[in-house]
Amino acid sequence: MSPILFWLFAFVMLVFGAAVVINRNPIASALSLVVCFMGLSALFISLDAFFIGIIQVLVYAGAVMVLFLFIIMLLDLRVEERRKINLVAFVGGLAVAFALFVQICFVVDQLGAAKQAFPSLRAAKMDDVHNVGLLLFTNYNLPFQIIGVLVLVATIGVVVLSKRELR
Amino acid sequence: MNYLELLKLAAPEAVVAVTALVVLALGLARGRVAGICSAAAAAGLLFAMAAVVMLPPNATLFGGMHVITPLTSLFKTICLTLAFFTVILARSDRSARNQGEYLALLLLATIGLMLLVGSEELLMIFIGLELTGLSLYVMAGFDKTDPRSAEAGLKYFLFGSTASAFTLFGLSLVYGMCGTTGLAAIGGKLDAIPVQPLLAAGIVMTLIGFAFKIAAAPFHLWAPDAYQGAPVASAAFIASGSKVASFVVLGKIVLVGFAPAQGSAAWHGLIAGWAPVLAALAALSIVVGNLVALAQSNVRRLLAYSAVAHAGYTLLGLVAGGRDGFGATLFYTTVYAFTLVGAFGVVALVRRETGGDDLTHFRALRSRSPLLAGCMAIFMLSLAGLPPLAGFFGKFYLFSAALRTGANHGLLWLVALALFGSLISLYYYLAVLKAIFVEEPSPATTQLLNDPRPTRTSPSSDFLERISLAVLALVVLFLGVLPGGLVTLIVGALP
Repeated sequence: MSPILFWLFAFVMLVFGAAVVINRNPIASALSLVVCFMGLSALFISLDAFFIGIIQVLVYAGAVMVLFLFIIMLLDLRVEERRKINLVAFVGGLAVAFALFVQICFVVDQLGAAKQAFPSLRAAKMDDVHNVGLLLFTNYNLPFQIIGVLVLVATIGVVVLSKRELR
Repeated sequence: MNYLELLKLAAPEAVVAVTALVVLALGLARGRVAGICSAAAAAGLLFAMAAVVMLPPNATLFGGMHVITPLTSLFKTICLTLAFFTVILARSDRSARNQGEYLALLLLATIGLMLLVGSEELLMIFIGLELTGLSLYVMAGFDKTDPRSAEAGLKYFLFGSTASAFTLFGLSLVYGMCGTTGLAAIGGKLDAIPVQPLLAAGIVMTLIGFAFKIAAAPFHLWAPDAYQGAPVASAAFIASGSKVASFVVLGKIVLVGFAPAQGSAAWHGLIAGWAPVLAALAALSIVVGNLVALAQSNVRRLLAYSAVAHAGYTLLGLVAGGRDGFGATLFYTTVYAFTLVGAFGVVALVRRETGGDDLTHFRALRSRSPLLAGCMAIFMLSLAGLPPLAGFFGKFYLFSAALRTGANHGLLWLVALALFGSLISLYYYLAVLKAIFVEEPSPATTQLLNDPRPTRTSPSSDFLERISLAVLALVVLFLGVLPGGLVTLIVGALP
């Protein structure tokens, strides 16, 4: 992949990831998260993981975030009020975050697998969408169909519970 | 493996699924269709039972995702029977709207139960748990005119979804360690792995989800509100069908999947594993359930706390482990489920006549309806574990299985606790019977019953409910006098 693209998408992700936290308006936060997910899926695609990239857009950016937006609008959340920063909590949080960061660095340093270069997915000739589909309709056929029943239950439940009764 | 073969081996589930769709469609018709829907649902369940009988004795699909053995066929039949009685029970709530959707959800929950019973693979077990759970959440909150039903649904949902998140996490840890989702394969892999923190976390998290399902303390907090607030038929199904299937699956997971990590719960020989965890759950459930039930004045709440205690007794068999222990657990949970459906049936009819289900509403039931009073007496005495009823034999079988395990009666402490708990439970079960047989009717109830309102239904219209309650009472009596048949069936079906 082109390094320029990597830096570009990584930069977009970091900027919008920060925007999720910094924004005071919940809707703006949620939309920033969508853009962040888009950047992530672009990174996946540039690594030749097409399936994960597309699923990332469909499931997270598409379904989950739309759900978030629905709930935010349904609850009619206003712009968050500015809070006084609790200094002790702030320092404590920073300390915990720093400790976690050091720990992760330590673990990655110790892990043998982390030192090896990843094999290129393109070289491995992983036809992933094909493989997932094949598994879904052979070995995992029964669970796949039962999930259909599960979705039916969810549909009936939502309709029954949210329907306004006629008097 | 082709679709036709799959359809043949999953015929009972397919029949129930088609019935659910038919009932759903029938419910959309205009006019009074509740009776037709009930009849269609009941007929579908009977067809499904016939389909279970036609299954081959042994088959395995998709590496354990769908297993057919005599044991799974037996418990599929039991789940279908419980669903059948629940359908009859659901008729008693005449004011209910959307009867078609209600029965469809009940049938879909039954599919979940059958899949749970017939699966020896973690992925399918989780999907079965979710299918059952999701249907039961909606069923608990189904009565939109009653705020308590909404409360029941919400509490059941929040507890349930958190518990299944834990279970999923636990199962994924187990999968991560073993690299397989088949229970038998997991058992083989765990043989080589000692109990280590990661495995312990996986086991404990898995057990949390099941402890929620069977309402074992301290994961029972949803039960009182769900049993009291949900529509009676939903509460009956949550307490019976869901519990039976959960115990079957829990038994399979711990005794097949986690078999090498059993450990020991003996008094002087605690060994880390799942047995001490289950023993702790059982002890806590017996103590909390029995003591809190003493203070209840609402019959449904009382049944809920007694359900917590009974979950504790039933866990005893799994703690003991082995064929004996599992057989005892399965026998007890079956007997308990039938008893509880019956008890909830009586509650439903009393509620319909008097408009409530507090102990005061049960006063002098003997003079109003000797049949209901007699049935309730059988159910309560069986729950208390008095001979010659089924509950006595179930407890005897459980306690003796627990006593026989280990070198020098290591589980004696748990058995003693359970016996002590049974003694306490006698008090509150007899309190219900005292209200029914000894006390005079409360003035409010008398006034209500003497007031001939046009909405009150005549006793003849619930003929079917009364018949089915009598049948359930006879089953409980029969299983107490001649338990041999079911015991041989269960023990013979165990591998």
